[in-house]
Amino acid sequence: MNSKLERDPQLHNHRDLETVLEKPILAAESLSLWYGASQALKEISLSIPERRITALIGPSGCGKSTLLRCFNRLNDLVDGVRIEGDIRFHGSSIFDPEVDVNGLRRQIGMVFQKSNPFPKSIFENVAYGCRIHGMNRKRELEEVVERSLVRAGLWDEVKDRLHESALGMSGGQQQRLCIARAIAVEPEVILLDEPCSALDPIATAKIEELMQELKERYTLLIVTHNMQQAARASDYTAFMYLGERVEFGETGQLFVNPSEKQTEDYISGRFG
Amino acid sequence: MRTAARPGPPISGRRRWAERVASLCVRVGGFAVVTGILGILAFLIAEVFPVLLASHVETEKQWSTTVTAPVLAVLTDEHRTHTATLAADGYLRIYRKGAEAPVMEEPIGDGRRIVSAKSVLGDTGFAVLAADGRIAWIPLEFSISFVEQTRVVQPEVSAPVWIATDQPAEDIEAFSVRHDATSTAAIFSTKDHHLAWIRISVEENMFTGEQAESVDRFDTQVSAAITEILIDREQRNVFAGATNGELFWWEVEGGALDQHATYRASEHAVTAMSMLIGDRSIVIGQADGSISVWFRVPQADGQIELQRIRDFPAHGSAIGLITPSERDRSFFALSNETMGLYYSTSSRTLWTGSPLLKGTTALSYAPKGDGVVFAGGGAVGLAHVENPHPEITLASLFGRVWYEDHAEPMWVWQSTGGTDEFEPKLGLTPLMLGTLKGTIYSLIIAIPLGILGALYTSQFVHPRMQSVIKPAVEIMASLPSVVLGFLAGLWLAPLLEKNFPMLVLMFLIHPPLILMSGWLWHALPKRFTARMVPGTELLLYGMIMAVGFALAFALAEPFEAQMFAGDFSRWLYESSGLRYDQRNAVVVGIAMGFAVIPIIFSIAEDAFSNVPKNLAAASLALGASRWETVVRVVLPTASAGIFSAIMIGLGRAVGETMIVLMATGNTPILDWSAFNGFRTLSANIAVEIPEAPHAGTLYRVLFISALLLFLLTFLINTVAEIVRQRLRQRFARL
Repeated sequence: MNSKLERDPQLHNHRDLETVLEKPILAAESLSLWYGASQALKEISLSIPERRITALIGPSGCGKSTLLRCFNRLNDLVDGVRIEGDIRFHGSSIFDPEVDVNGLRRQIGMVFQKSNPFPKSIFENVAYGCRIHGMNRKRELEEVVERSLVRAGLWDEVKDRLHESALGMSGGQQQRLCIARAIAVEPEVILLDEPCSALDPIATAKIEELMQELKERYTLLIVTHNMQQAARASDYTAFMYLGERVEFGETGQLFVNPSEKQTEDYISGRFG
Repeated sequence: MRTAARPGPPISGRRRWAERVASLCVRVGGFAVVTGILGILAFLIAEVFPVLLASHVETEKQWSTTVTAPVLAVLTDEHRTHTATLAADGYLRIYRKGAEAPVMEEPIGDGRRIVSAKSVLGDTGFAVLAADGRIAWIPLEFSISFVEQTRVVQPEVSAPVWIATDQPAEDIEAFSVRHDATSTAAIFSTKDHHLAWIRISVEENMFTGEQAESVDRFDTQVSAAITEILIDREQRNVFAGATNGELFWWEVEGGALDQHATYRASEHAVTAMSMLIGDRSIVIGQADGSISVWFRVPQADGQIELQRIRDFPAHGSAIGLITPSERDRSFFALSNETMGLYYSTSSRTLWTGSPLLKGTTALSYAPKGDGVVFAGGGAVGLAHVENPHPEITLASLFGRVWYEDHAEPMWVWQSTGGTDEFEPKLGLTPLMLGTLKGTIYSLIIAIPLGILGALYTSQFVHPRMQSVIKPAVEIMASLPSVVLGFLAGLWLAPLLEKNFPMLVLMFLIHPPLILMSGWLWHALPKRFTARMVPGTELLLYGMIMAVGFALAFALAEPFEAQMFAGDFSRWLYESSGLRYDQRNAVVVGIAMGFAVIPIIFSIAEDAFSNVPKNLAAASLALGASRWETVVRVVLPTASAGIFSAIMIGLGRAVGETMIVLMATGNTPILDWSAFNGFRTLSANIAVEIPEAPHAGTLYRVLFISALLLFLLTFLINTVAEIVRQRLRQRFARL
């Protein structure tokens, strides 16, 4: 990958991490989660730095996606979920009964593993969130749609067929459309749940490139199976195993010099 | 192991065999289903097809006799074995079919010549004008007995009833006789425009058995020369046609001939005239060959007038003879060059050809309507008439038809009356609209409840409740419709009749109450509601419904007093002229809605549940509420499935039989009012097929309606299936 990311050189050591994490945008505090009787997350504490890319890695079933879905409270809809502990967004708890969940989800957008455009036109897909939040004027919507598609790097490919069905696009395009749809409502955080797992390497590269651009404006939290992707594309990485956060650190550090034995075993391919 | 001897994997042979058997079974099954459906279709078409067959008239036997005197009138018996002729030489002769010499030869009127004779509809016998100016009714009877399994037909002539006219026969231009058990009426007109009515009544003293004969005679003048004259069976009305094309109608009232009115058919002379069965319609043939049917029609001002209803294609020359069928409203008309068979109700020309016998002087329809007898020039003949379903045309099935005694053409279904004289009214339109009415009223109830219920169950209810609700609703579908119909007809209908204002009240009270309780539930603190067992909110709704019900019950009486002046059905009648029938469209709507709801619910629920969860998740992740997600993503995505749910529900409602049979009252009326009944195609088949004579016209018409239903449900289900397939393709990529 030639578009290899230039990293912020001053963030390469632990002390810098600490300064960044003094005011994290999102923070899980002793978060435990049960699906019925089985515990999926165990006392997880994790701080997500603002306008950086944080990757969650770990073997299947370690709770990465579950944790991700806690951040926008999408787990609320799952039957039999019980949560203890807290998640703070800009310092205040997202589980507070006073919190407007829909407003929270607007601020914390999400891109799913499998691209899921609505069976509507490309334009309507991107405009969907804005319409929900009360934007109805055509001019404004057109502006937002164009801006979002440009930011998602899709504008040139689709500008002539904005009113065709989104289902006619390729898989990679659909996934970038989902990113455009997520950023159209101007969130602060974008949660990406294995966004490239169904894509070919070229489409994957495009998404990774896009993530680097998006990091300028948004905080990105990505769950990935692909360790190379985490190593290539993220600034910070958390390794999870069996519902526990094993290690969290600056990506280069974690991959080159993991402090935990389990992390080392995993990244060196001894299990997983 | 035997398989071990064979090379290759031993299992593959068995697998291939199983594969073949399975695919054969599937193929046979599919083929059987398709064959079954095509078989039903073929059967229906086969039962309907004879309707399309053309009528035909074919000479069976024609033979010459030794008699040279012209035959004035003919008759045949029910089985067409004997033919009676009345000739100008004054003899009544009865021939066996094909026999040159008569089996019976009897002089009528003491050997005087006969000037004119005719057969009369509905009676076996001849009306005769003798050369001495007397008019007679000669009753004839063919008695049937069986001797050793063989039918023996014995003709008998009873004593004629003679009526003196006191006029020379050559002065009499037209005459007619009508005879019944107690009286014989005759009417005649003379060259000097004189019209006389003579009735001989015989009264028998019940104790002594003495017979007292009385004679009435009324005379009047006519303005034109009469050519044909008719008396109806009640001996109350006299119709006549004149040389100037005028028609006259007299009523025999209070000892006088009361001229009701004069009508003009055209300027051409009326040359032949006959009643049709039931004595309601009059067929008129004229000198220019035109044939028309007239009957009495109530006018807007309350008067009844004779009106020209139908015209048939004209013959090239004057119509000489018209003979009606005693079974239906068909009749033969004969002119010099043409003979035609027509049907009044359907305005159909069933058959035309050249006259069966050149120079026919007498013509008569056989009593069973399956033949015609004719005579002329010393020859006598019998023809077979094949005329199976004369009253059916597309126009008579689906269009307005002007039936006897009706003020205007109408759509009517009234298939049978007490006698053959009743005109069957086989209009399918009231039944089709009845089907539509039942369908619409039941869908008004079933669509909102079914779809909203499915939406709630699939999108909002707790999964544990979901797994209870769906099977429960589907059990509703397994309820036999005869039970639903029974409950609707015998329990719900009387209940609603008494409590209709309460139903209205419930419709007013419940929706706001439910909305309010929903709002209340959400207004409750989360801490409180989250701790509830899932499904508690349903319990709450149930309680609220009960409260609404109690409220409606308590308020029903004051409500009725306030809004409907204390009596709903009277209020309805007085304010809108609508009658409240106990079995009405509302009852059917509720009962059939109950039958259709599970179908719509089940398919719609599947459609909603099949919307990929990640679409809803995407919408929620964008900050949409659950309601917004449902309205903007789930509903549009499931729309085609909902459409197909509605269509399949529609198909069920169209074909439903037992509920409509038991709860509609089966009145085939054309009225959209919710407060009266109707009759559907399906219920009509169930009601009438046991009474329909096999292969008769009614039987065929019922099969036409079955075919119609078949095609309708087939069409609806096909559309629903096509839409569903397209839906499946559209979302295959999700």
